[in-house]
Amino acid sequence: MCSCMFILLAAMGLAFDLGRIYIVRNEAQMFVDAAAMAAAAQIDGTPAGLERARFAVERLPGRWNMAAEVFREITVEFSGDGQHWLLPTATHPVAEPELLRLARVTAPANRVDITFLRAVGGPKQFTVPAYAVARGRGAEPVRLVE
Amino acid sequence: MRLRRMRTTSQAGHAMLELAVCAGVLVMFLAGAFQFGYTFYLYNRLVTAVGNGARYAAQRTYRGASPQDVERGNAAIRNMVVYGDPQPTPESFAMLPNLRPDQVEVRWIKTSGSAPAAVDLTVHHYTVDAVFHSFDFDGRPAVEFPYVGRYAPHEREP
Repeated sequence: MCSCMFILLAAMGLAFDLGRIYIVRNEAQMFVDAAAMAAAAQIDGTPAGLERARFAVERLPGRWNMAAEVFREITVEFSGDGQHWLLPTATHPVAEPELLRLARVTAPANRVDITFLRAVGGPKQFTVPAYAVARGRGAEPVRLVE
Repeated sequence: MRLRRMRTTSQAGHAMLELAVCAGVLVMFLAGAFQFGYTFYLYNRLVTAVGNGARYAAQRTYRGASPQDVERGNAAIRNMVVYGDPQPTPESFAMLPNLRPDQVEVRWIKTSGSAPAAVDLTVHHYTVDAVFHSFDFDGRPAVEFPYVGRYAPHEREP
């Protein structure tokens, strides 16, 4: 009976918890895709453009967990070559904004509460991070890179 | 001898009772697993379809010579969500059961003048029939993409 219950809970966990994790992964990826494009569309080689890019991501509506929660702790980074990423702040602005043409948006903190799998030894929460990179500057069309 | 026969009969009754109770629980668990698993599967596909449609809408040329042209463009976006093809053939079938183009709302967000700044796609009243229970999704999934396509206010939709 005990082993049967274990198997049942594991099966429920696979259906319920993994299903939710996959949905959150998809929702998060869709949001960061949109956010990266919104940020890349604002890059114009000036510090004001980078500020507008951050603002564009902040104002973008995006919800996860079947539209029940809002995305938090979103980071917006910029790069010129795709290797070295800069996270400009009000106190630490970027030295050479004219070299930047890529925007990377990361949603790192999408924590799904596990309901059934925790009863059979699974974790209490599962984090589903997502990121996307978009390119765009001036006359260039904005496109997702990653 | 008589006592042993009585015991066997009694245990058989217990086994039947146990099976009845366990089978009830088992069926409920399996029904629940199917119901939620299938609903989540379809919702996940719906999220993907809306995301693909929104990406298409964000990059396609916005032709606004007349309200009919805008509506034709919106119809192409709705078809992209539902059929995965902006111009579906009569043989095309919806990517999700019971999903129709009229359930997809396309909203253009315009900040300055009439050039769109973003496009918002929302699904209304999509019902998942999971045999034991139906789930209605209204207003979700929804996604907003920045508009990065070509703005052609005087062009007509082909």
